[in-house]
Amino acid sequence: MSELSTLLPILWGGFCTTLAIFGLTLLFSIPLGLLIAVLKMSNWRVVRYPVSFYISVMRGTPLLLQIVAIYFGSYYLSEYAGVDFSFDRFPAVIVAFSINYAAYFAEIFRGGIQSISKGQYEAAYMLGMTRTQTFFRIILPQVVKRVVPASANEVITLVKDTSLAQVIAVTELFALAKKQQAAYASIYPLFVAGVFYYVANLLLSVFFAYVERKLNYYK
Amino acid sequence: MENVNESAPILKVEHVKKSFGDLHVLKDISFDLKAGEVLSIIGPSGSGKSTLLRCLTQLETVDGGLVQVDGKDMVVPNDSAKGPAVKYAPAKMLREIRLSTGLVFQNFNLFPHLTVLQNLCLAPVRVLGDGRKEARAMGRFLLKRMGLEGKENAYPCELSGGQQQRVSIARALAMNPKILFFDEPTSALDPELTGEVLKIIKKLAEDKMTMVIVTHEMAFARDVADKVIFMDGGVIVEQGTPDHVFRESGNERLAQFLSRFTNT
Repeated sequence: MSELSTLLPILWGGFCTTLAIFGLTLLFSIPLGLLIAVLKMSNWRVVRYPVSFYISVMRGTPLLLQIVAIYFGSYYLSEYAGVDFSFDRFPAVIVAFSINYAAYFAEIFRGGIQSISKGQYEAAYMLGMTRTQTFFRIILPQVVKRVVPASANEVITLVKDTSLAQVIAVTELFALAKKQQAAYASIYPLFVAGVFYYVANLLLSVFFAYVERKLNYYK
Repeated sequence: MENVNESAPILKVEHVKKSFGDLHVLKDISFDLKAGEVLSIIGPSGSGKSTLLRCLTQLETVDGGLVQVDGKDMVVPNDSAKGPAVKYAPAKMLREIRLSTGLVFQNFNLFPHLTVLQNLCLAPVRVLGDGRKEARAMGRFLLKRMGLEGKENAYPCELSGGQQQRVSIARALAMNPKILFFDEPTSALDPELTGEVLKIIKKLAEDKMTMVIVTHEMAFARDVADKVIFMDGGVIVEQGTPDHVFRESGNERLAQFLSRFTNT
């Protein structure tokens, strides 16, 4: 039991980093995802095509690779361009996670937006509402309800994906647990880390079930 | 030019044409309507009734002809040899015209995430700039007129189809339109619910609301209308008073169409 009392504070520190990655990624990727979803539905090919390409790269390559690419790529690129700029480890992780998750959210949001019937737009149009009013007052509130289940999936996956940050030596929960594994010569610390992830996601599941229930006031 | 007087039409439609690709849905539609009149448009499915309504409410664009609403040109033929066959009014004018026309949809298209009263108040407040208080008072007044007292805080999904359609009529009326269009307002309703909606429309007709109603309810079309148009194959086959269209017309297509309703 004394093992646990020394292990827990160490892992808790890592878990805070994990939470920081998690929170900041959601903060940036959700609005960015909404913007990308809208751009992907643009009537202009010059907008739509690059956005489609961006989404396909983000979804088609490992997040692990993207983290490495952002961190080391920015370093080499600035070297090449002769500017003094490179990402620190933590910001690089946030950027990589945000643009990756934005791509997934964008596709969820796009599906949600396109599932709203044409009649809703026509009713708003006949009432003289502008396109902006129609989107924010009529379409978006209905989209929110429809995308909650799919978004919950992404959010829960994100909790576990944060462990990928260790690839550029960000000391999040899993990286620290692995270090302790070596110290303890046992997989026990990894197991405890697993409990952290599980409890976090349990809380999120409860939260999303609550949100779904709250949004159930209309059909 | 005709004199602008009381009898000037509030809706004037001349030689309107509309095609979807090779399909000529509206071939040469002309009619007009005076303020306070009710026009019923009848005809078989695919005759172009709904498309005509959608053109008049700007949900579709016409390919030819003229449409004038309340003395304002919505679309006129393009006189110059170049360019498209018609010229639409500037966006600002089109919006002004749109605000003077209301549309009641077949499928209601109420906003499901808003309460009944919110459905009624949203556009008056956000589009017309009415005060919240006045809008709510007007909304409650309209709900009472629709026989929907006490339903203001209900959500559309909690209402029957007939009630939903009455809310959508109230929503259109809340914008104080000069002409109210109905696109088969009872076609999505169970037969036992059509009566309550038709009764409301009749009441509006008694109050001299100018209305254009596309409908399959023949008895209703005859009773409520000052004028009836029978469309088939994208043209107006017969138009005139209800008596003329339903009794006196010797037109064979019309007789054939009407016989389908009397036989059932």
